[in-house]
Amino acid sequence: MTQEEKKSILRIALYAGEILLKNGGETYRTEETIDTICKSKGLKHVNSFVTPTGIFVSDDRLDGISFIKRIKGRTINLSKISEVNNFARRFVEEDISEKEAILELRKIDKERKYKKSIRTFFTGLASAFFALLFGGGATDFILAFLISIIAIKVNWEIEKLSNTSFLANATSGALISFLALCSKSIGFGTSIDMIIVGSIMPLVPGVALTNGLRDFISGDLIAGTSRVAEAILIAISIAVGVGTVLKLWIHLFGGTF
Amino acid sequence: MLYYKDFIFAFISTVGFSVLFNVPKKSIFYAGLTGGIGWTIYMYTKDITISSTFSVFLASILVGILGEIFARVDKKPVTTFVIPGIVPLVPGYTIYLSMVNLINQDFNTAAKFGTEAVFTSGAISVAIIFVTSVAKIMKR
Repeated sequence: MTQEEKKSILRIALYAGEILLKNGGETYRTEETIDTICKSKGLKHVNSFVTPTGIFVSDDRLDGISFIKRIKGRTINLSKISEVNNFARRFVEEDISEKEAILELRKIDKERKYKKSIRTFFTGLASAFFALLFGGGATDFILAFLISIIAIKVNWEIEKLSNTSFLANATSGALISFLALCSKSIGFGTSIDMIIVGSIMPLVPGVALTNGLRDFISGDLIAGTSRVAEAILIAISIAVGVGTVLKLWIHLFGGTF
Repeated sequence: MLYYKDFIFAFISTVGFSVLFNVPKKSIFYAGLTGGIGWTIYMYTKDITISSTFSVFLASILVGILGEIFARVDKKPVTTFVIPGIVPLVPGYTIYLSMVNLINQDFNTAAKFGTEAVFTSGAISVAIIFVTSVAKIMKR
């Protein structure tokens, strides 16, 4: 095997790992996928080190060649994880050329599963039923549906413009509490708490915290700590948004809640 | 049949989250089922044992087992069902409450909610890891 071939196998493994990590794959799954892809083609001494913000792949028998990939944003996209999983299995079993493999991975990377409008609608649905789950009434249901749709739209738009998720989360948090307070003060909606609970559900980092602790317990200590820190940061940014508006509202109009 | 309402609400919100998380169309029903059953068991055990953390632990074990079963049935990775399945159980709102109280300088309440959040998500992750480890051993 020539140097070039070895490099391209590492590159395929790195790309597969990048897609997994960017779309919410667990740390151990990313490392396992990279290792199995490399081992299946005869690169037996590959080490991969995965953190939420970057992937390091290195082969100590290959003139110390190593690749680093910086990962910027992370979302949850489970269909891509399952597709990369299938791809890795096929790549190990069958004989796929490097060019085909890269093209296929690029197709997975670019793919869009559901239209934005459908995702927005279902986000609203999820939030509305969460409000019911926590004990809200019928008007809270409707309000949580509308407010969460507005909030997630705004969140996505700001995320497009700004690299830091802090701004997006703080703004949507502020918007949620502002709309909830407005609707309550015109006499619509029974409980502000229930409206806010439902509406912030899509933003709140519960899954992120749990994934962080999962990494932590499985021994990926750096990945675990940084995921937990990220979850706390997201929670703080939402709380800053909501808290600021609540404080201002009470200061200006008195305690309506 | 006291919990049918809980099941329906949790089922639909899990389905909503599944679309947000881009779960493939064919798997959405299974994902919703995982979330709905997990939440129903959580409510039931919470009513009879009072301990919230323990109930979350039991419910997450069930979510993990259902995830393993559906992964075999539907030929998809376990995560596809486990991540949407734990969404209703996960302490998102609790972390948020903890941070709000921290900002309002109510440190006691913040600590109370904060530890509750860590306990809950710790219980979920221990349960999920437990199930995956056992499944891995049994596969061998």
